[in-house]
Amino acid sequence: MGRINRDVIVALLLLAGCGAFFHASFQIEETNYGTIQSWVWPRIVLTALTGACLLLLGQALLRGAETVEKRRGGFLAWAGRYRNAAYVYGLFFLFLVTLPYLGMLLGGVLFVFVTLTVLGRPQASLVPLHLAIAIGSIGAMWAIFTFALRVILPQGVILPF
Amino acid sequence: MIIENVIGAFGDVFQLHNLLLMVIGVSAGLIAGAIPGFTITMAVVLTLPFTFGLSAVEGLATMIGVFVGGLSGGLMSGMLTGIPGTPSSVATTFDGFPLARKGQPGLALGLGVWSSFFGGIISAVILVALAPRLARIGLEFGPWDYFALVLFALTITASLSGENLVKGLIAGLMGLLVAAIGEDEINGVARLNFGVDSLEQGFSFLPVLVGLFAFSQLLSDIEDRDRARQPMTDTHAEAVRVQHWAAIKTIVGRWVNLIRSSLIGVFTGMLPAAGGSISNILAYDQAKKASKTPGDFGSGTPDGIIAPEASNNATAGGALITMMALGIPGDVVTAVMLGALLIHNVQPSPSFIIENAQLAYAIFIAFFLAHFIMVAVQAVCLRAFLKIVRLPMYVLTAVILAYTAIGVFALNNVTFDIWSMFVFGIIGYTMRLLGFPLAPMILGVVLGHIAELNLSRAISLSDDPTLFVTRPWSLFFLVVAAFSLVFPWYQAAAGKRRWTLAFLPAFALALSVPLFMMGGVVRPIIGGVLILIGLLMLWRAHIKGWATTEAAP
Repeated sequence: MGRINRDVIVALLLLAGCGAFFHASFQIEETNYGTIQSWVWPRIVLTALTGACLLLLGQALLRGAETVEKRRGGFLAWAGRYRNAAYVYGLFFLFLVTLPYLGMLLGGVLFVFVTLTVLGRPQASLVPLHLAIAIGSIGAMWAIFTFALRVILPQGVILPF
Repeated sequence: MIIENVIGAFGDVFQLHNLLLMVIGVSAGLIAGAIPGFTITMAVVLTLPFTFGLSAVEGLATMIGVFVGGLSGGLMSGMLTGIPGTPSSVATTFDGFPLARKGQPGLALGLGVWSSFFGGIISAVILVALAPRLARIGLEFGPWDYFALVLFALTITASLSGENLVKGLIAGLMGLLVAAIGEDEINGVARLNFGVDSLEQGFSFLPVLVGLFAFSQLLSDIEDRDRARQPMTDTHAEAVRVQHWAAIKTIVGRWVNLIRSSLIGVFTGMLPAAGGSISNILAYDQAKKASKTPGDFGSGTPDGIIAPEASNNATAGGALITMMALGIPGDVVTAVMLGALLIHNVQPSPSFIIENAQLAYAIFIAFFLAHFIMVAVQAVCLRAFLKIVRLPMYVLTAVILAYTAIGVFALNNVTFDIWSMFVFGIIGYTMRLLGFPLAPMILGVVLGHIAELNLSRAISLSDDPTLFVTRPWSLFFLVVAAFSLVFPWYQAAAGKRRWTLAFLPAFALALSVPLFMMGGVVRPIIGGVLILIGLLMLWRAHIKGWATTEAAP
């Protein structure tokens, strides 16, 4: 356990990923045409990737546990550092899940408004400002793509556009 | 024929619609460049969705505008706040900020703006002169040589873009793997899709790029909760008035520094992976070494502003040379432009300048024009820009994330692309946290198809694998690729270990072999010169008794 550090875990996870892709490369259909089979290139890349991952593993094991970054302030401080990123990923995920129902216009306005409110200062006076930014920015982008670039953006079931 | 193409290109670029797009592009680039943490690459990536509905000339001209504007925009915040807007303007702050604090912000900004302009124009002249010649060399390439060139681009990117070469290599290979997912271009067989129907077509380039680069960058920028809520820069520009004439006179009086720095920028830009972030430091360092008063550097000397600003704008011309002449991106920005060309069904290759002459000349003209627009826009709108960059980062993040979703959807009109962007956003953010550089992965995604296609062509033409080392250009690129893999170790141990004394001579000697194999007159002469340089370096090391600054362990 003394030699385990972050890169060792990363290398092991990458090697597991390589294994999964290698397995998938054996499912690729064989053809009786073409100069090289479709699995050749992915396996060349995977072989090189596996080699590089083994190098990373060796490098990380040689370096040992002494280089592991000391976690300052415990788990809560560590989690706090990535709180904003986690919130945004969560909100974006919700935006994507609700996109078929809310559509791009309403979903986009809601996403921007909620993200601004979560990331910004917790002041009631900022709420109308965040709402105005959300409506203004998404409305403008929606109009540019819909009318100027003629892109039919996802429509929801609540609004007819 | 050339005149016809040039006239046609002028007609395309100088259309009112296109000029307006370029002004918008330059303005967007200037704003993006002025925002610390908001990179030029991200600005160019975010511009891409807008170009779908435009012609190839309009799309590329807009992106060139953003690129040139971004390179120049970094100097504004760097000089007025001491915080460089982009990595390309780090060295600008060394003397720009002190000069501004001495009460001459107008002169500091003027020097920055006009050095950027002159550096860009010098690189544009080199671009026009060199790209067609380099493209003619590119026409000599067979699939073996092209495959080796891709290999070289990936290895040098991996070795230069991060602290850990192995992580850079893994990132590059992951990019190649991502490009291999989905239908095989050669045989039309679905592969590595794990039974997911949506993956049968593979990943589109844009969602992967936006996710990896823009999405992950934005989330890195808002990690600090308090900083995300504060204005990005805290400067007041009311009193700043750019001193144009004083700046031009100062720059013209230091023309040697200007030309040297511009050449450093062009050369750095031509190398895959080495962009403005490296060239501005290199040029600053060389200007300091060549100066009669190196002690003045760091206290607000004009030479310390001219060097980095001329070189970082010149880098753009160098990167465009590689992209247009060889079809290989010089950096991530030109990788995005390459993607834009593909979206408009233009295949970048050595024959690009010949087959798409009008578009190629339009790119040249747009690159020239963008620098004039940059000076004009910066002179007129400086105050407005500085007000915009006082917005808090969290506001920009929320709005830009929503915009990326709309932009990515617009590519194929499928929601799967937004999901792809989301997943690659998580991958990109995780890679940043774990110390994996993203540039090799992006280049891997772009170059994966080119590598596979050329490997397939090479094998179909001959089953002799020795052609990869017996063909001169292929050997040339493989030699450079091999040495670029060792370069990080050389850089870390240079002067401290004995073997490093033999590294550069060995490189010169090895490189001379393919040059002799190429035949003709000029190339063997270059090979001969390289042999002489290599032998001279070995002899000097021998005379000094292979002494290093530290005893070898």
